[in-house]
Amino acid sequence: MTTALLILHGLVAVALLGAITHQVLAVWAPSGAGPRSVFDRFRAVQPAGFATAIVVLYAAAAVLGAIVYLFFKIDIQPDFERDRHWHALGFFDLKEDFVSIGLGLLPAYWISWRRPFADGRGHTTVALTTVLGFIVWWSFLVGHVVNDMKGFGS
Amino acid sequence: MTFAPPFRRFALAFGTAFGPMYLLARVKGLALFTVYPSLGILLPGMHRSRDTVDPVLDFLAPEMFWYGWTATAALGALAIGLIAALAPACWSRYFWSGWVWVAPLLAMMACVYLTIPWFRQ
Repeated sequence: MTTALLILHGLVAVALLGAITHQVLAVWAPSGAGPRSVFDRFRAVQPAGFATAIVVLYAAAAVLGAIVYLFFKIDIQPDFERDRHWHALGFFDLKEDFVSIGLGLLPAYWISWRRPFADGRGHTTVALTTVLGFIVWWSFLVGHVVNDMKGFGS
Repeated sequence: MTFAPPFRRFALAFGTAFGPMYLLARVKGLALFTVYPSLGILLPGMHRSRDTVDPVLDFLAPEMFWYGWTATAALGALAIGLIAALAPACWSRYFWSGWVWVAPLLAMMACVYLTIPWFRQ
């Protein structure tokens, strides 16, 4: 059951990672007319169209992660402490903090993509997207590494 | 789809307040509840296992504050968001919308500082 939840959590995280990366690249390096390379096509998306999906995927990944975290605390963390993986636990601690702070950003992020705040050129929207993108990438990498350290099914 | 200005003010205030509220909850130990996953219980407020059992035994009932900190931050940010939504619209012109990403970013940096002890072990 825990393994199934962890895999589902990972799959949702992959979908979220793809969506937010599309959006971040589209706002920072919008593609010109006539995309040619794969990179051009990757960022030639309508970033606003991703906002709702990102909010739903972020919330789903956070809820699944919150459930899996209960099992991590009981079954995994004691092994990490015994093996003195303090850095991994520290990075994981930060993942928790960042994910929570990201949850609080979701309403503003979603609304800003519907109608940007009155700051001229949508700087707030770009900044919110970038912060969320950083949180998602951080969480994905740390979660992935921590999972690899323990090993599947061990 | 458009949103009524009060809802926009709510989202802006909620997003701005959540990060600092989370940081406050984390620093001051203001967890709304504590979860004991191995026992399957949830206690209101912040409780440490070592306060009730011998510290060498607290691994038997590890406590989790993260859920409680998040709930505290959500509650605090909700209150601030509601105040912003109900406040006169003209007040919002004194509020820089950039705070909605600057405040969480500062809270994240402070969380990095709070995590340093893990890296000194």
